Amino acid sequence: MPTLTSGSRQISYVLDGPSDGPAFVLVNGLTQYIKIWEPFREALAGRGFRVATFDLLGQGNSDKPSLFIGQDDQVAVLRDLVDELGDQPVFLAGISFGAVIALRYAIAHSDRISGLVPMSAFAELTPQLSLLGNALRTGLVLGGTTYLQDLLFPMNLSDDYITERLDRLEDAKRKAWLINDLYALQNLMESFIDFQPLTPQLSSIGVPTMIMNGEFDFFTPRKLHESLRTHIPDSALVIVQRAYHAFTLEKPALSAALLAQFADDVLAGRWHGGKKVWIAPEEPGGALIPFPANYDHLRALPLQL
Amino acid sequence: MKPFLGPLEHGRIPALQQTRVSAFLISAHGALTRQLGVAIPASLHHGWQVELHSQYCREMEILSLLGRATSWVPDPALVFQMWQWEMAWLPRPVAGVEDRTQGALIDLAAFGHALHTVIRPAALLPEGFPDEDPFALAMRRIEFESGRLMQAQILFLKGPQLAPVRNVVASAVEARHAQVRELWQNLLHSMEIDTSGRHTLTPAYQARVQPVPAAAAQPSVAIREP
Repeated sequence: MPTLTSGSRQISYVLDGPSDGPAFVLVNGLTQYIKIWEPFREALAGRGFRVATFDLLGQGNSDKPSLFIGQDDQVAVLRDLVDELGDQPVFLAGISFGAVIALRYAIAHSDRISGLVPMSAFAELTPQLSLLGNALRTGLVLGGTTYLQDLLFPMNLSDDYITERLDRLEDAKRKAWLINDLYALQNLMESFIDFQPLTPQLSSIGVPTMIMNGEFDFFTPRKLHESLRTHIPDSALVIVQRAYHAFTLEKPALSAALLAQFADDVLAGRWHGGKKVWIAPEEPGGALIPFPANYDHLRALPLQL
Repeated sequence: MKPFLGPLEHGRIPALQQTRVSAFLISAHGALTRQLGVAIPASLHHGWQVELHSQYCREMEILSLLGRATSWVPDPALVFQMWQWEMAWLPRPVAGVEDRTQGALIDLAAFGHALHTVIRPAALLPEGFPDEDPFALAMRRIEFESGRLMQAQILFLKGPQLAPVRNVVASAVEARHAQVRELWQNLLHSMEIDTSGRHTLTPAYQARVQPVPAAAAQPSVAIREP
């Protein structure tokens, strides 16, 4: 696995797909690592994209600083990785923790990318999200990485998806426990201690932006994505049906198809965000459905505005 | 090289491997316990001294557990290694801190942090290894307790009182991490164990996506305008 030197740190990354194709850079969520994106690498490379996946500081095979990891350090890593990709158009997608890093990068380096896809994202810590984050951190500290996984699996995946994989749950938890070091996860979580809302800076994101939010995501609910939609000028919100926070794990084929189509539309000049709200198709290849007019997309009930 | 302890002998971790792992842990946790013992005053006057006392007692439990849960065998290689380890654990001056007491506490916390974070003894156990095995149980308990014990060190090292010397603290901790990591990995390599491939594990719940052939790589999602 190649490594990238970012400052004094070593970062593991993988490149797939044609070297002359437009690039997708995919940014991990909190407990994720490069292998998580394998289905995306295959699907996007098959559509002609160069795909860059990497471990953030504190994750997988990248360096794990012992005490302090700032989110600015993660943005610097991302900047160095994007610089490695040359002059081809670069699309940046990140999920959850990775979406925050992607948003920070886009705010600072909007001119370097052609499009942005924040997934299960947030630009501010509402009291609800902050309290949930604190509870997860306490769970990690008192119960270890296994207990954190005990919380994250049912929080972030649908019942149907878990039901089909119950026999593999212990294996999944063991692997996640082996790969993640408690102190490194804690450092990543504690990089939010001094977090200041990104909302006032979102308007500086000058690139097409497709915001993706799971229909049933209660960890980062619609309200948090709405803030992105209303502040990022050329954005649109896509609601992923029957999905929870970790929909990239649960629906990789659909998610990858949406990413590819977004990039194709941007490159062809067909993308017009217009701060619209869309419903993703249930299957890859389906059409985006406009959210019904006069209904409130922030509500679970079909109440007319 | 293999990622876990073993192969098993009569369903147990080989006694020589148990001996080496436990000797290393006793050396390191023993040194930490001695240093904590020196740092704790006879009468406790501050809240942080209560935490030091708690750490001391829990480290004593780890030492007692290792002594009793390990199947010990003679290992001549340990004579030199024990000397090397003990030298490494000696207190180090922390450059850039004028207050010598504060410097000593930073080094003590850095050593404890490295010990509790770098070393993951339970992660050496092969998959499915029985819970009731005393050595395995000891390894799991030590790793779990380490996750809690490191919290006091994190609280101290990241605390506001050390904010003015944050770079010094970071350097001291990184140096202790590098030291502990090198000695631990040397020990693992002596048993033909290499844990560096964990990041290549395929997630157990991962779905597969059929690659799209190049000829079919056309836009597949049309946007239906309202």
